[in-house]
Amino acid sequence: MSTRTGVRPVPAVAGTERRRWAAVFALARFEARELMLQIPVFVFFLAHLAHTVWKLATPEGEDAHPVLQDVDRATQTMPTLPALALLICVNAAVGRSRRHRTDEQFGVLAMEPWRRTVAHLLSAVPFALLTALIVAAEVVRAVSAPGAVGRLSPGELVVGPLTVLLFGVVGALIGRLTRFAPAAVLAAVVGSYILGVTVASALGGPRWMRWLAPVVPEDAGDPLPSDLLGRPAGWHALYLLGLTLLLCCVAVLAGGARSRLLTAAAAGSAVLTLTGAVGQSAGDPSALVAARVTASATPEKVQTCVRHDGSTYCAFPEWAGRTAEWADTVRRVRALAGGAAADTALTVRQRVEARRGPGQDSALAPASTPGQVSVGARWGGTRVPEFAVAVASVLVTGDEETGASVCDGRVVTTMWLALGTAADPMAELRRVRLDDDVSGGSVVHTPTEPLLISAPQTTVVRELLQRPRHRVAADVRAHWDELTAPGTSTARVAELLGVPLPGRPGDNVCGA
Amino acid sequence: MIPTVSASGLRLAHGGVRALDDVSLRLGEGVTGLLGPNGAGKTTLLRVLATALPPDRGALTVLGHDPSGPAGRQEVRRALGYLPQTPGFHPDFTSFAFVDHVAILKEMTDRAARHREVRRVLDAVDLRDVRGTRIRRLSGGMRQRVALAAALVGDPGFLVLDEPTVGLDPEQRMRFRELIATAGEGRTVLLSTHQTEDVAVLCNRVVVMAAGRVRFEGTPAELTARAAGRVWSSAERDPGARACWRTGTGAFRNVGDPPGGAELVEPTLEDGYLLTLDAPAVVETTS
Repeated sequence: MSTRTGVRPVPAVAGTERRRWAAVFALARFEARELMLQIPVFVFFLAHLAHTVWKLATPEGEDAHPVLQDVDRATQTMPTLPALALLICVNAAVGRSRRHRTDEQFGVLAMEPWRRTVAHLLSAVPFALLTALIVAAEVVRAVSAPGAVGRLSPGELVVGPLTVLLFGVVGALIGRLTRFAPAAVLAAVVGSYILGVTVASALGGPRWMRWLAPVVPEDAGDPLPSDLLGRPAGWHALYLLGLTLLLCCVAVLAGGARSRLLTAAAAGSAVLTLTGAVGQSAGDPSALVAARVTASATPEKVQTCVRHDGSTYCAFPEWAGRTAEWADTVRRVRALAGGAAADTALTVRQRVEARRGPGQDSALAPASTPGQVSVGARWGGTRVPEFAVAVASVLVTGDEETGASVCDGRVVTTMWLALGTAADPMAELRRVRLDDDVSGGSVVHTPTEPLLISAPQTTVVRELLQRPRHRVAADVRAHWDELTAPGTSTARVAELLGVPLPGRPGDNVCGA
Repeated sequence: MIPTVSASGLRLAHGGVRALDDVSLRLGEGVTGLLGPNGAGKTTLLRVLATALPPDRGALTVLGHDPSGPAGRQEVRRALGYLPQTPGFHPDFTSFAFVDHVAILKEMTDRAARHREVRRVLDAVDLRDVRGTRIRRLSGGMRQRVALAAALVGDPGFLVLDEPTVGLDPEQRMRFRELIATAGEGRTVLLSTHQTEDVAVLCNRVVVMAAGRVRFEGTPAELTARAAGRVWSSAERDPGARACWRTGTGAFRNVGDPPGGAELVEPTLEDGYLLTLDAPAVVETTS
């Protein structure tokens, strides 16, 4: 043969243990490359990558002000789909010989089945690393954002990559233990997941059961200070790591390996898994529960305050760097106010509702303290005009509670103060309304209770926002007392500000 | 000289049937043909020699290693090329990836050297132009050559081929003969086949099996010589012949014990094979 081709044959030589492991790694590389060529794996990982690149390239308003303890959790859900694709394709790769009847000729090749299993397990590692790179890109982008606040948790950050690895390992294990076709495996995995969710729901979603899932997102609701989250991220990472290693050991044992080292590794992994599972199942400690109550009910006890332009800004320590941006908004709104409001000292207080823990969408009640304006944990995007509406509302009515129930002409004054200095007032009006429209009655978002705006009020506000700001500002200052007096009708406000009001004048019905 | 394969008293039963019954043989360098009817135990013997099946009893060494233990089995497998009767393929792999996969499973770790070797064996079986083609797009003959390339990769010292020419057209069979003949240079090839002409033109040794036993072991010439004086031509079918068929000339070719005055003709290896199968079931070997 060598004579024909002119190339010297390369014999398969007897190998040391080191060489044999080198062969395992060579097979792992081969299988990883084959996995990357599988359509489900390629498509889902590409989609994950593209989604991340797109997110990084086109940041939305709030993306410029990330809360890092939410950013780390947000990296966990997206890798689940590529992980599922990896599970199916690793499973298919393990069963490839059986499906295509190469067992007989491959069965007499030098590498033992258990080493081949190790290679299949290792073939999932590059995809976990790829996921880790994507997560790292998201995190670097968030950390480097000028408005970033909060703290990252390494335990949360490793969940995405570990989930991908775990799913790959599960695929290999199922392939070693059963002869199911990959489609059946997919159905079984999805079915088990749905069954698990159903059972967990039926049992009221006990904590220990929820945390057995690889990803426990809890991404609804507003951000909380990191020390109030109470997520057992470290324990969960330990649980995932232990489970991954344990399933690896079981797969290798199922591949035919027998050694004390492997048995010891399996036992050690089981201990890790159990330790993590027990650790993550523990309920919230009483100190944490108390801290959440304090932060929700009496935040002033744990906040630090700074002063800007005579007003006081109180924030949870992790948000201390954001007070300057709040002050900028207050300055803009107050600049349009008249009367005493132009010099009123406000207290801007950050508020959260932490009593039910993270992931709970709880509304903040408006504050009754005169001159106090609430601000949430999010910032950027629509949160800025929402806060501006709250500031304007307090300047016009005196306190948030009163402002939330206003339906008369003061709504017009409030909205113009809030949006009058915006770079694109009409766009801001659209964004701050629930219906994303600039006509008709609607609900206007604020950090606490929404403000209701009627159709005539919207008409007047829209007209005012399209006029030169300095002219309207002069009229507002000139008629400030009447514009902010309780009971002043929308028609009267329109008249004072020189806006022809179509339809029925004097309509003060909330949101009509 | 140490034989590549030395088997002594191999026995293996499948479901109460003795697939191998006290099989002893020695194989050296070159191509050895393994002939026998269906159910003779040829494939079982090949699987035992390829370490795919352990014998129930008997002693076996392949390339100086005893495959009954894990270490010896590993050594045998490292130096073995095996082409089963119906090889499987991974249809989504290219022919290069398939053979490369096999090379990795043979624990060839140096990537550059391994790829060089994969290219070499694919060139050797004339598949240079379809290295990057997925196996599902290859013809049956090409696939069979991919399987041969996979068996050849790593320069094995012992090559086991189980009916590699089944299903191939005459041209493909000719090409395969050439490949097997080349593969037999400097290594031991055991070729199981139903094609006596393959054995006649390819093999320097031949083993005939029937009912799980070795009926003959020797050279093709010796097997042919067994029919010397036992093949004759006649105008009519000879009822005393053990086998008889009309040839292209219209005359009958008879194999068996000729009557007096019969017109004897030159025997072929196939005649010797037929007479060996027909002989009493005793182990009869020549060397």
